[in-house]
Amino acid sequence: MSEVLALKRERSGPRLRIGFLRLTDSAPAIVAHEFGYFAEEGVDAELLEEPSWANIADKLAYGFLDAAVIVPPLAFAIELGSRGVSQRLVIPCNISMGGNTITLATALARRVQEKCEKQGHSVPQALADCLGDQRPLPMGIVHAYSTHNLLLRYWLATAGLHAGHDVRLSVVPPARAVEALKSGQIMGFCAGAPWGEIAVRSGTGINVASSDDIWRAAPEKAFAVRASWAEEHLEALKGAVRALVRAAQFCDAPENASYTGALLSRQKYLGVDSHAILSSLPGGAIAPDNLSCFFRGAATFPWRSHALWLLEQMRRWDLIGDVDTQSLAARVYRSDLYRAAVAPLGVSVPMTDSKSEGAHDAPWSLEATPKPIAMGPDSFCDGAVFEDAPAPVSF
Amino acid sequence: MALTILLIDTDAERARALEDKLSESGYARVLRAEGPDLAAQVERARPDLVIIDMALPDRDALEDIRSVSAASPVVMFAGTDDPAFAQEAIAAGVCSYNLSGVALQDVRPILASAIALFQRYRNVETELAAAKALLNERRLIERAKAILMKDRKMTEPDAYRWLQKKAMNESRKLAQVVADFVAEAEDQQRETKP
Repeated sequence: MSEVLALKRERSGPRLRIGFLRLTDSAPAIVAHEFGYFAEEGVDAELLEEPSWANIADKLAYGFLDAAVIVPPLAFAIELGSRGVSQRLVIPCNISMGGNTITLATALARRVQEKCEKQGHSVPQALADCLGDQRPLPMGIVHAYSTHNLLLRYWLATAGLHAGHDVRLSVVPPARAVEALKSGQIMGFCAGAPWGEIAVRSGTGINVASSDDIWRAAPEKAFAVRASWAEEHLEALKGAVRALVRAAQFCDAPENASYTGALLSRQKYLGVDSHAILSSLPGGAIAPDNLSCFFRGAATFPWRSHALWLLEQMRRWDLIGDVDTQSLAARVYRSDLYRAAVAPLGVSVPMTDSKSEGAHDAPWSLEATPKPIAMGPDSFCDGAVFEDAPAPVSF
Repeated sequence: MALTILLIDTDAERARALEDKLSESGYARVLRAEGPDLAAQVERARPDLVIIDMALPDRDALEDIRSVSAASPVVMFAGTDDPAFAQEAIAAGVCSYNLSGVALQDVRPILASAIALFQRYRNVETELAAAKALLNERRLIERAKAILMKDRKMTEPDAYRWLQKKAMNESRKLAQVVADFVAEAEDQQRETKP
């Protein structure tokens, strides 16, 4: 046995403890770990499944985790110390785009869909019409500092629906959302895959919108690392980014969907029906109504303009105070680390750190090196265009 | 004045033990909550302090409560100078929310009791899990060696070295390599059997 223990102690690089939640878009981290990509890139990664975003935040803040697959607004909240002890974080790469659903209780969803068809209304407009004196409609989000909170509020606001008045938002952990929908505690929720699909499969809810219906190519999860870890282990950090980018390529390839679905469905990862996971993986469903994107369209690049849009929305809903968002975005979203990390992979990287968000409603080509990147549309449901104000400066 | 504490823990035995300890000490009135709609239960009970098992997903719901005190609840010692105490709590798997702005020195003994109790339960669990993992690893190594000795006519030391080398070449842990090897071999066996 002593030989076994000796071998186990042999490490392939600095230890990187990565926290993740039971969500489909944790896929790149799980794949990078299971396929040995982290080890190949000189990182001794350990994946730790956490039951709540609060655990992710506290464990990052108190040094029990070195990194996490995280919703970026929470990363900003940790950096600013808005919900507990603060911890400096860097985001050297993005993990996914899209993948959330707005899921309504079946009966309400049917009424909404009927209104859409008959009167040609947008879904949020139809929801507004259906509300009547049912205000405020109780809906669940996964955390106050989540992309879900920001996207749902944005979508509702396009039809003049406001949290507090027309809708009462409360936090319901996704694993409890189906139960809460069934019991009537909430009438709908916005959560990451696979939880909308699980509600659909149980007959409890219907997905009436996805991230794409709010903001096409919306940033979803990011890879956040404690800045002190990143500074201490710069080479390993770059290795971790490479491992995640390679895993993102794997997860994005349609032919790998069933493999990824089966891997994620294991008890130690998501522990749910692999079909519910498959439905939002690229290549996993014939006509998906909700899709995560991991690599295509520069999905792994940490766009400064994404950070700034999220921060502006956080300010819009009073989740942050008067903060210098430009310097915060530049401090946390580190395209310089991304560029340095992926150079050996030959992956194309954008020439700028920001882009016009919402300016493209058709596929377009992004200036990148060595080759341009084929991009999908990035339009908002209300046609808005978000420009990053001053010219971004690269590190 | 006794503080009202809301305890959220699905381990009934541990919860009862903590409840007894805190009630005996006389500085606390302990209530229990569980299940869905915890935020509403907290708002009804209006406790000074919530103590929650970190293994539950419900912490995210608690973070959003704003109606008990003016601001949102304070997560364990945020803004104080005691990271070591908070770290001890996290390591034990318990967390608290201060809802009424009660002074730290008043909640500190209560939290110390909770941490000690969670620590004790956690140690037992960790030891049990480690023992199980070790047993399972041994069993798998024996099984993998037996497969190699039978199918490839290796000696026992050669079989063991072969597995070690495989783990090293793939830069994976021996336990993982052995588990996959046995699973694959057993799959093949099933396929070849009529």
